[in-house]
Amino acid sequence: MKSAPFDYVKVDSVQDCVAALAAADGDGKILAGGQSFAPVLAMRLARPRLVVDVNGIPGLAAISVDDGRIGLGALVRHVDLLEQPHSPLLAEVAGWIGHAAIRSRGTTGGSIAHADPSAELPVVAALLDARMSVVGPGGTRVVAAGDLFEDALQTTLEDDEMIVHVDMPNPQAWGFAELSRRHGDFGMITVITALVEDQWRVCIGGVAGVPFRALESEQILADGPLDADRIREAARSAAAAVEVSSDLHASATYRRAMAEEFTLRALRQATTPTMKGVA
Amino acid sequence: MRVSFALNGRMEEIDVEPRRTLADALREDLGQTGTHLGCEHGVCGACTVMVDGRPTRACLMFAVQVDGCSVTTVEGLQSDDGKLHALQTAFSECHGLQCGFCTPGMLISAMDLLHREVEPSRERIREEMSGNICRCTGYMGIVDAVEQAAKQLNALNSTTEPPAGKTD
Amino acid sequence: MSRSEQPVGAVGRTVTRKEDRRLLTGNGNYVSDLELPRMRHVAFLRSPYGHAEILGADVTAARAHVDAVFTGDMPEMSSVELRALSALPTYIETAQPILARGKVRFAGEAVAAVVASDRYKAEDAIELIRMDYKPLPATVVAWEKPQVPVHEGAPDNVLLEREFVSGDVDAAFAESAVVVERELTTNRHAGNPMECRATVALWDKADDKLTLWSGTQVPHLVRNMLAELLGLAEGNVRVIAPDVGGGFGTKAVLYAEDVAICVMAREMRGTPLKWVEDRAEHLQAAAHARDHRYLMKVGFSSEGKITAVQADVTCNIGAYSVYPWTAGIEPLMAGGLLTGPYMVDNYRCVTRGVTTNTAYAGPYRGVARPATVFAMESMLNAGADKLGISDLDIRRLNLIPEDAVPYRMPSRLVDDSGWYGRALELCVEAVGYDDFLLEQKRRAEHGEAPIGIGFACYNELTGLGRAAAAGPRMPFRTGHDACTVRVEADGTVTVLSGVTSQGQALETTMAQVVADAVGVPYEDVNVRIGDTNEALWGFGAFSSRQAVIGGGAAHRSGEALREQILKLAAAVYEVPPGEIRLENGQFFGKDERMDTLGTLADVARIAYMESNKLPAGFEPGLQVTRFYDPIRGAFSAGAQVAIIEIDTATGELNILRWICVEDAGRVINPQVVDGQIAGSIAQGLGGALYEHLVYDRSGNLSTGTLLDYLMPTSHEIPELEIGHLSKPADNPLGVRGVGEGGTLGPNAVVAGAIRNALGIEMNHLPFTPAKVWEAMA
Repeated sequence: MKSAPFDYVKVDSVQDCVAALAAADGDGKILAGGQSFAPVLAMRLARPRLVVDVNGIPGLAAISVDDGRIGLGALVRHVDLLEQPHSPLLAEVAGWIGHAAIRSRGTTGGSIAHADPSAELPVVAALLDARMSVVGPGGTRVVAAGDLFEDALQTTLEDDEMIVHVDMPNPQAWGFAELSRRHGDFGMITVITALVEDQWRVCIGGVAGVPFRALESEQILADGPLDADRIREAARSAAAAVEVSSDLHASATYRRAMAEEFTLRALRQATTPTMKGVA
Repeated sequence: MRVSFALNGRMEEIDVEPRRTLADALREDLGQTGTHLGCEHGVCGACTVMVDGRPTRACLMFAVQVDGCSVTTVEGLQSDDGKLHALQTAFSECHGLQCGFCTPGMLISAMDLLHREVEPSRERIREEMSGNICRCTGYMGIVDAVEQAAKQLNALNSTTEPPAGKTD
Repeated sequence: MSRSEQPVGAVGRTVTRKEDRRLLTGNGNYVSDLELPRMRHVAFLRSPYGHAEILGADVTAARAHVDAVFTGDMPEMSSVELRALSALPTYIETAQPILARGKVRFAGEAVAAVVASDRYKAEDAIELIRMDYKPLPATVVAWEKPQVPVHEGAPDNVLLEREFVSGDVDAAFAESAVVVERELTTNRHAGNPMECRATVALWDKADDKLTLWSGTQVPHLVRNMLAELLGLAEGNVRVIAPDVGGGFGTKAVLYAEDVAICVMAREMRGTPLKWVEDRAEHLQAAAHARDHRYLMKVGFSSEGKITAVQADVTCNIGAYSVYPWTAGIEPLMAGGLLTGPYMVDNYRCVTRGVTTNTAYAGPYRGVARPATVFAMESMLNAGADKLGISDLDIRRLNLIPEDAVPYRMPSRLVDDSGWYGRALELCVEAVGYDDFLLEQKRRAEHGEAPIGIGFACYNELTGLGRAAAAGPRMPFRTGHDACTVRVEADGTVTVLSGVTSQGQALETTMAQVVADAVGVPYEDVNVRIGDTNEALWGFGAFSSRQAVIGGGAAHRSGEALREQILKLAAAVYEVPPGEIRLENGQFFGKDERMDTLGTLADVARIAYMESNKLPAGFEPGLQVTRFYDPIRGAFSAGAQVAIIEIDTATGELNILRWICVEDAGRVINPQVVDGQIAGSIAQGLGGALYEHLVYDRSGNLSTGTLLDYLMPTSHEIPELEIGHLSKPADNPLGVRGVGEGGTLGPNAVVAGAIRNALGIEMNHLPFTPAKVWEAMA
C-alpha cells in the first residue's frame, strides 16, 4: 500500500500554491493535514503528478473572533479547535473527529475541501453557512458552504484553488449528536443544531452526498416556542426530508429513524439548560 | 529530496522520494524499526510518533514533510542511561503488551495523553487510547498501565518539586 | 543459603516477561524489520474478480522496470501446488496453485508477483501487468447452488460432509415435551493480527538450502511441507519465526504466497526476497473464518433436560481447502463440539464444508466454537422460553456434572473437566444475579433503559494429543512437541523449545517451567524458540496446545536434566546420589541445616571445561531432549455472563458487566493467563458486535480496509472481570489451555442478553445497532 510517484513542492505562500496548482494543469493536489489524502494516495485511488504542501504557509493557522463571528485559517488543526476557548461548539465538534493523532494533523480547510459528508466540519460549515475565502489564479472569491458542496467528496473548487480562510457565525446555543459505530469513527449520522441570530438551524451529516440543512425543521422551530412537542415535530420533519440509502452498516430505514432520533438529541442538548450546548 | 530533522534528539539527514512515508523512512532509511506499520491507512495507530510534540500517524505523513521538525519514536523513550520510561515499566508490570506490535504506538499515544491530562480516569484513558488498536490484550493491561504510569509520574513530579520557600 | 530462605518456585507467579524489554524499547525483531544485504522486495498482483477465467497475461512492460516477474503459468510456478490431504471418505481433494493459473477463485487471489528494489517500485510494476479475464458467475453463499462450480471435482461445491450420530434422535424428539427449531448464521471475520503476514526467503547461492523467515505459528510444519513441496532435504530448510506480531490462527497456515516466494527465491538464488503483506491484502487474502449456517432442532423434556440435538451445519470454507488443515477444519470442529458442556445422549449432526468464491477459511482463535456455542446457547434460551424456566436454570439442569466425568460426548470426545457448574455459579455469584433481577424489574417499572443478562457455558478442548487430534484424518498427528534443555558451561540454562510465540509469552512461561523442573532461578533460564535449526520438533501454536504440550515437554526435559545433573554432582561431591538436591542453582546435601555443597556453575564447568575433573563413567555435557504427548486432551471449563443495557432508540448496546470464569488447571503465570482470557474475550466481542467481512454478489470484498472492517478499540471493550478455577489436568504440569476459550462466549452472551432484555431473538450475527433496532421494530 504505497503511493504512486509524485512531485512535491512545499510552498510558503498562497500565491505560490495557486501558481503551482495552475502549472500542474489539473494534475496537482494540495496536501494539508493529509489525514484523508494520504490514505487515498497510499491506496492509489488518486495519483496526482504534483503534491503541493501548504503546511509551511505562514498566517493560515490563526483563530480570530470578531463581533459574534469566528474566523479560522485553513491550517487551523482540529486539535487547535479542541483547545480554543472561543467556540464551545467547535471544541465539541473537534473532539468527535478521529483520534488525537488525527486531530494533531487534520486541518479545517482540508476537511471542508475534502467534503466527506460523514465528516464533522463540513456539517458545521453547512449548518452555519460558513464563508470560505478561496484563492485562485484570478484572485480571491468568497464561497458560501451552500455553494461549495456538490456531492460526496466533490466541491465547486477549481483544481487550482485553495481555501485559505473560513468565517462563520459563533452560535448563541448549539446541540451536537452523533451516532458512530466506534469511538472516533466517522458518524453514521451527525446532527448539529445551532441558534444563530435567534434562528434555529439544523444540519445532518452522513445521510446524503452533502450535509443536509433541514430547512423545514428550521421553519417549524421558528414558528413557536421550543417545547418538547415542537422539537419532536422538527425532528420528524428532518427525518422525513433526508435522502437515505442502505449500506454495509445500516438500512435506509434505520438511518432515517436515527436522523430523527439524533436531531431530537441535538435539539434537546441545545435547549436543555443543564446541557453543554446552552449558552 | 534531502530532508533533515531531529530524531530522538539527534540530527539525521536522508535523501528520499517525495512519496516515501515518514514511517518507511524511519524504518528503512534510518533503521529505526520500532515504529510499526499495521494498516498504512491511518486507522490502527501502530505507527504513531511524536512530531514537534504532537502525536502523528507516521503512515500519513511523508518524510519530506518533517524537514526541520523534531520527531520522537519509541526508541527515544528510554533515558540515556537505559532506564525505562514510567510508561514502559508500567506496560511491563501491568501486562499491557503481548505481541508488542501495537506497543510503540500505544506508548506514544499514552505519553501524549499524560502530557495533556495529569490524572485521566479509566474511562478517559479508554476514550483517548481508542486511536490505537491492540489485538492481543483486550486493553485491560493497557488501561491499567496508563493509569499506573500516571500515578507514578505524578508521585515523581510531586517529590522532585523543590519544597516551598527553599532558595538556593 | 539455609533452608529457611528456600526460594519460591517460578511456576504460579507473575514474573517480568523475558520479551518485554526489547518490545517496549522498539527493539523487537519482527520479520517486517529484517534487512539483509542485497534484499529485494516482492509485491503480488491480485485478482479483481471473485471468479474468472484467466485468458492471458502480458508482463512485458512490467519486466522492463523490475528484477523479475512471475505468473502462475510459468513452469516453476505451475509445477508446485498445495493439496491439503485427509483420509476422510467423503473428502474431495482439490489443488491450490501458488499463483493462480487457468482461473481465479476469489478476489484477492495472487495472480502474479514482481521483484523490485523496494516495495514502492514493486507496486509500480504490478500496475504494468496486463491480465485478461473472462468473468464467471461467482458463488459467495455456501448454501446456494453454484452456477459454475469453484473446483471441477466438486460440482455442488461440497468438499466434505460428515455425519455424527449418537443415540436415537427421532425417538427422542417424539418423546420430547418441547422441540425448538431455528436457523442461525454467523459472520465471517478474521484474526487480523496487528502485524500482517511477512516473509523473507533466501535460497542459497550454491547449495540447495532454503532459509525462510516467516511470522508463522508453525515453523516445523512449514519446514516439513516446504521440503516436500520443493524437493529439499528437510535439514536443508530452516524456518525462523522471530518476534511475531500476533497470529490467532491466521498464521498457522502455509499460504500460497509463502511457497511462491520460496520458488521465486530458487529462481533468484542468493537474493533475499522480502514480502510484507499490507492490510488490504490481508483482509482479502489471509484466512477468514466463521461464515456458517446452523439449522438446529433441539428437544427438551418437560423439566427442561435436553432430549436430543439435531443439526445441519454448513461452513463456507472459501475458495480452497486450507493447507494443510483442509476444508474440514471448521465443519469437523463444529460437529465434534456442538453439544458443548451439556449432557446429550441423542445427537445427529450433518456438517459440511462448502467451497465458494471467497477467501479461504482457516484456523482462527476458537475454530468454529464461537459459532457452535452461539447456536447451542441460543437453542437453550429458546427452549427455556418455551418451558417457562430461566436461562440460568436450563443451564444448571443440563451441564455435565462433576460425577459424570470422564464424560463421553456424543461425538465420542472425552471430557475430563466437569467443572462447568462451578464456573457458571462463580459467574452468577460475581454478577449478583438476584440484584440484577431486582434492577431489571425496577427499570421496567420506571421506563428506564432495559437491561438483560446473557450466559454462555463452553468447553474448550485444549492441548490435543494424538488421539484427540485424530478427527480430521490428516497425514500427520499433532499430539507432541519436543524440548531440549541444557546447562551451559557457566551454569545458566538454555531451553530450545518447539513452541512458538505470537504474544503469548512462551519465552517467559517455558523459562518458568524449566526453572522449577531443573532447580534454578527464572533469571538463569534463557529460552530460544521459533527456529527449526534449534528446537528438535514442535507443531507450534494452535488449539491452545502449547502450555499443555510444549510445557509438558519442557517440564519432562527439565526434570530429566535435573536427574542427570544430580547424578554428576553426587559423584563430584562424593555424596550418595539420593542425598543431593538442586535448588535455586545450588546443591544441598541430606542435612537440611548444612550450607550449600556448591553451585550448578561449578558442576557445569566440570561438565564442559574441566574434563580432567569428570568422575569416571561420565560423558561431558549436560543436556536432555524429551518429547511429550498427552494422548488425549484437556478440556477447559468456561462460563461468561454479562449484563447489557440497550438503548431502545438506537439499538446500541452498553455492556455494564462482563464476567468470565475459566479453568486453566494449574496456572503457570497468572498475568499471562488473564491476558489470554481478556484478549480472547475482546476478539469474541469484536466478532459479535463489529467485525464482519462482507462480499457482494459478484465476490468483491466490500470491507477491504480497516475503515470498514471494524476491530474494537479500548473504548468498545468493557472492563472485564475474570475469575479462575483450577482443576489440575492429567498432564505433567496439570495445566489446561486458555488461549481460545474467551472467544467462545461473546456471541452467545450478547444474543442471550438482548433476548433477556427485550424478548427478541438475534439469530444472525453480527449484532449491529441497526440489526438490534430493526429486530425491536
